[in-house]
Formats: sequence, C-alpha cells, structure tokens
Amino acid sequence: MRYEVSLDDRIARAELTEHGRFTIDDRALAADVRETVRGRQWSITLDGESHEITVVTHDPLRLDVDGHDVRATVVDERALRANRGAAGTRSGRVELRAPMPGLLKAVHVKEGDRVAADAPLVTLEAMKMENELLAPSAGRIAKVGAAAGAKVEAGAVLIVIASD
Amino acid sequence: MRAADAAYAIGPAAPRESYLNAARIIEVARRSGATAIHPGYGFLSENADFAQAVAEAGLVFVGPPAAVQRLLGEKTAARRLARVAEVPVAEGTEPLTDVAAARVAAANIGYPVLLKPAGGGGGKGMRMVRKEDELETAWRAATGEATTAFGQPALYIERAIWNARHIEMQILADNTGNVVWLGERDCSVQRRHQKLIEETPGPSVGDGLRQELGAAAVRIARAAKYENAGTVEFLVGGDRHFYFLEVNTRLQVEHPITEMVTGLDLVALQLRIAGGEPLPFAQADVVRSGAAIECRITAEDPRAGFLPASGVIALVREPAGPGVRVDSALYAGMTVPTEYDPLLAKVIAYGRDRIEAIARMRRALEEMRVSGVPTSLAFHRSALFHQDFITGRYDTTFVDRWDSRMATDLSEGATAAAALAAVLATRARVERRALTVADPPWARTAREDALR
Repeated sequence: MRYEVSLDDRIARAELTEHGRFTIDDRALAADVRETVRGRQWSITLDGESHEITVVTHDPLRLDVDGHDVRATVVDERALRANRGAAGTRSGRVELRAPMPGLLKAVHVKEGDRVAADAPLVTLEAMKMENELLAPSAGRIAKVGAAAGAKVEAGAVLIVIASD
Repeated sequence: MRAADAAYAIGPAAPRESYLNAARIIEVARRSGATAIHPGYGFLSENADFAQAVAEAGLVFVGPPAAVQRLLGEKTAARRLARVAEVPVAEGTEPLTDVAAARVAAANIGYPVLLKPAGGGGGKGMRMVRKEDELETAWRAATGEATTAFGQPALYIERAIWNARHIEMQILADNTGNVVWLGERDCSVQRRHQKLIEETPGPSVGDGLRQELGAAAVRIARAAKYENAGTVEFLVGGDRHFYFLEVNTRLQVEHPITEMVTGLDLVALQLRIAGGEPLPFAQADVVRSGAAIECRITAEDPRAGFLPASGVIALVREPAGPGVRVDSALYAGMTVPTEYDPLLAKVIAYGRDRIEAIARMRRALEEMRVSGVPTSLAFHRSALFHQDFITGRYDTTFVDRWDSRMATDLSEGATAAAALAAVLATRARVERRALTVADPPWARTAREDALR
C-alpha cells in the first residue's frame, strides 16, 4: 500500500508491502521494527541508529519522535485518489469543534455575522479556565451549533464558517 | 491514592461535591481518627472558612490560621498591609464591582492594566488589558472566573509592570514569632498567569536583591502574624525595582525546588510547626547550594495555544537518575478529567550549578513519554534550549514569544522512522489486525534485509 505521510511541514511518499518492504520517497529502507507497546510505540532501527516513536494521540495523529513532538497525517492511495477527484467541488466550510468537553459559557457571534480570522467565537469553560476559541479563518457564520449554557462533548461542532 | 495507607471517598468528581465539600472532609477526618488536615496546594488550601471549620472541629489545620488567611486572602487588604510594612506595591485600586467604575480607574492608572480577583490569587481570573476596547470582554471573563474560583465577582485593577519577572520568596514562621526566608524562586515562565517553569536561584537575582526580598517578605509575615509555610510573591521590573503582589498562604506547587537547594523537607516542617514546635534553625543556619528547576508537565497542547486537553493516558514513562525528582500521580489507564487543573506531573532537576541543572532537565524531559493526551512536553523541551532561558534573560512574556510553529529538527533517519511509525499507527488503528502478532512477517523480513 502507498501512503502520503506528512510530518509537520514535510511530506513523504511511503510504501509498505505485505512482504515487508518499506520505501520512503522510492528509496528502500532496511528497518528493524519492534512494537514495544501495541499500536502505541515502536522502536525502529535504521542504518544502525535506533529511534523511538510513541503515539501521543491517534486523532489527530501526533507522534513523539525521539523526544520531538511531530504532527503527522497519513493518507493512503485510495483516499488520495478520492480527494483529488473531489477537489473543486468541496465547499469552503470551516468547522470550529470543541477541543475538549466543557461548558459553553458564551457565544459571541450569530448566524450571518462576518468574522475575521482569530476573532473570538465562543467561550468554553474547562479545567477551571475560560478558553476563548478563535475563528480558524475569516468568513460568514453559517451555523451556530450550540447555545450558551450547553455542556458540549469533545469534537462537537460549535460554529460553522463559510469561508470567503 | 495508590501510595496512601488508607483512602476514604469524599464524593463525586465535581469539586463542589468533593474537594470543596468542607463538612464532608472534616467528617472523614474524624472518622479516620486523623488529628490534623494538610490541605495540599489545591482547592481548600487558601480557604479561611475551611481553616476555621477545621479548628472548630478540634482538628489542627496545617497552615496559617483562618484570621491570617482571611487578611491575606483579601488581596487589596494584603496590599494595604504591605504598604504599612514599608514594602512597595504597584499602583492599584480597591475592589470594584462594575465595568463602568473599572473603565474610569483604568483610564486614571493608564493602560496596560491587570484585572485581578479581589477574593483570591494564584492567577485565576486574572486578565491583562492593553487598551480600553478590550476591557469589557476581559472584565466579563475575569469576573466569571473569579466567581467560580473564589465565590466573589469583585475585581481590582493594578498597573501592569513591563518586562517583569515573577519572583517569589519562601518563608517559614512558627507559632512563637520566629520567621525565616529560605530563598527565591523565579516563576516568570507563565502562560495565562499559570506557571510552567520555576527555578531557584533566580538567574537575575543578585545577593543584594535576594536579601532585600527576604527582608521584605519577613516584614510582611510579621505584620500579618503569619504562621507556617508561605510564599510572598513579587514582580521585579527591568530596573530591579520590586513590587509586592500577594501572599500565597499555603505550600506552593513549586516548593520542591526550594527543598532541593536547602535540603529541607518543607512538608515535615509544616507538620512540626502545626504541632506547636519552634523552628529547628535560625535564619543564619539556612544554607542554599546548587540550582534547581521544575517543569510543570500539563495536559495542554502548546502547539494549539496551550488549550487544555482531556483523555485517557495510554502510556507513561517517567524520567529518573541523579538529581531528578518526579512528583506525579500519572499511570497508564488514568483519565485526565476536565474538572481539575491540567497539571499531570512535576519534573524537578537539581545540579551543583544552573548549567548542570539545565543539562539534567533536558535529559529528563527527553526521557519522559506520555501517550494519550497532548502535553506541554514539546514546550518544555524546546524552552530548555531557548537562548533566553539559557542566558537567564527571560521575563513573563517568554511563553507568549515562544513560537509554537517552530519546525522540529529531525534527522533523515528519524524522519524515515517517524514516517514508518505513522503508517503503522494508522494501520493498527484502521485494521486492528496483523499487529496482534508479536513479530509480523514484514518486520521479520525487514530485519533479515538489514542483516544481509
């Protein structure tokens, strides 16, 4: 299976065959792989150097690579093809989701409002702190997903912005 | 709880029903046969009503008496006390209850100003206001947080000090009027007024300033008739002028670094003082040697504006080794709840000098692994390599200036290994098979390739 892997700003093409060949950017690598914690941590030796990679979170994928924090995405070839096919038809909608469960203390916008990027949209109380969640991009408020006073779960869609 | 000899349930996770339920805690103390209550550094540790209730129940409260807590807990009263004790305070107001009065007062003092809860400290409900049109939003948020944290919506306004360092002085006072200071801690590495790194000695604090801060802290303690352990907080401006901030009438989260350099056990001393014993040493006997740093590892994502995160800890590896101490309650399977502070673990490193302490801390942070929630580790690891931190020339704006988009500098090998692991992690999640075999065929083949 082929994948497109992004590690922070870098993008690499990777391939892992059922026969155990691993290539990165078409270069075959001999890797000694030990899964030290199932599905969570691997010790990988490449060219005599050992690397420890730990999954910090699965979704979104976040890795600890030898003590460095790295954001990763993995897209397989099928998804890549599907995405390319869909390009251009996707609407410019951006969702603001609750990054953690909490109490929605205030909603500072209403449907139809125009907002600039980084404008405060809602105040979410969690961990004894009030957190202002900011607009991920400029646009028009297409939908307000929850009202002030509501308890929201992590991942709940709070605001939908139709981007410019 | 795993380390406890005995444990009693005090109620469900919501703080109001458990950690803030004073009556229930006292009842449990009685039932367990305890004669004293140590409030730790959490919920009820700075609650005068609780201290009073404990005393009235015939138990010993390990900390300053209710009257002292009440006096110092009223933050504007504490500022008046400091002035009487001839300790400088930053220009500020009495408690205010509405935004209109705040607008007038802020204009008089001049922006930027700080909004602070009158009913309690610790950085909760505190907001920096740079200009007038930010005032209303900031007031709303701060007064809300102040009500949640201290049950009082009143705020006061204080002039903001630029390029300030947050320096605090540890004191100990017994019941017979002896007061000593143990040394300062620089807690300038903060975000949203919550500390992330503390160190002692303060890299910017010379002997002269240290003596002055110590003497000022002792004057305030005497004026307040202080008892037990406490911390007097100051802001020190770029010009070395210092201003009294507040007194924390409890043990601080960062107390271990003072223990490391003085060799004193602050909790043991708290218990002795609470038991009526005099301090077993005088000011001249306090010897500080070496340097210590504490990193507060929190469940917050430094690459997303330090947003708190919750989840289940899947894996923990804590560092160890000479000069390294870890205070934590982390274990795999633990749920990081949203009800409490996001503090997960404190990593403390001691060295004969600051350079050794930094080296040990870097190694400890590199060794530490937490899987399951994003943590502040990425921030801490890079902060210990930051030029401003290494040279000790940092102030309270350090975290704001830290660039979370900083590209991670991975070697070619680490990048390839990370790419492979990313693919494996995704497959493990999507397929949930193949990897149940300890040594899957592709790993074996790859290893054989390597041996060829």
